Amino acid sequence: MNPFDLSGRTYLVTGASSGIGRATCLLLSAWGARILAVARHEDRLRALMAELAGTGHLFERADFETEEDWAAAAKEWAERHGRLHGLVHAAGVQTTEPLRMLDAQSFRRMWNIHVRAAMLLTKGFACRSAHAENGGSVVFISSILALVGQPAISSYAATKGALVSAVRALAIELAREHIRVNAIAPGYVKTPMFEAVRQTLGETQFTALNRLHPLGFGQPEDVAYAAGFLLSDAARWITGTTLVVDGGFTAQ
Amino acid sequence: MKTPDFLRLLDELLELPAGTLKGAEPLKSFYQWDSLANVGFIALVDRHLGMSVDPGKIAAAETVKDLLALVQEKLE
Repeated sequence: MNPFDLSGRTYLVTGASSGIGRATCLLLSAWGARILAVARHEDRLRALMAELAGTGHLFERADFETEEDWAAAAKEWAERHGRLHGLVHAAGVQTTEPLRMLDAQSFRRMWNIHVRAAMLLTKGFACRSAHAENGGSVVFISSILALVGQPAISSYAATKGALVSAVRALAIELAREHIRVNAIAPGYVKTPMFEAVRQTLGETQFTALNRLHPLGFGQPEDVAYAAGFLLSDAARWITGTTLVVDGGFTAQ
Repeated sequence: MKTPDFLRLLDELLELPAGTLKGAEPLKSFYQWDSLANVGFIALVDRHLGMSVDPGKIAAAETVKDLLALVQEKLE
């Protein structure tokens, strides 16, 4: 029996139209899963649908910056599209911003997308009518910046750090429902968000950052494999943890 | 955005009293003009003017006027 065969299972993936979320959708579909892809832009979601392996995939538009009831939305999506076997929250934004530039609006945006949405989507997923009868797996995409410091990124770090704590508490609370909850802390991965950081840092600092990665910068697929593993039965005894996937960055 | 308003934002970035900067000041006379301030300038320009600036050009700027020149197209 192959624990990575996800045939017959449905997964909700946010941030689905680019970067890590998109790579996760592609991988899970290749492993047989049905995808409920969630992102802001319908054109990019439609493009993703055409690329997924298999059939039966669906999408929903959502902007997690807004303060809607994402718990009710997740529950409604599951009731409409079919019970979910897991959730991957990969939606994210990054703002390189020294503390002296911190403002309430940018912080709220980051909090809403990274933390508020993660918690509410999990609340919806945890409803008995929303998830599969034998439980499920929730994965939050955090960041190594939740674990180690860099300058000019404190708001992002604070919100990604919240996810590391959240998965511990959620894992304990949801174990009785056979729902596992974990986070992944990726290092610097080559995504559109990463390219924006590169523009901000300039080549000299960027080259220095590259040298801090013993195995070089990562690819979105590297994180997708970790998500697939945590969603699969191969990780059935793993909950409440943060899996670091960073090419060795935090090992030094 | 009017140039004086942008100068006020630069005052704030460099933790100077509002109205300090006039334009001719050499940036190296401010200890607050460091690599973090460079990044802060990028964030400030993005947030308030909706544009991006080459970090190399910011690092090469010698005076406040040089910084203003980088965003001239968005200033009145």
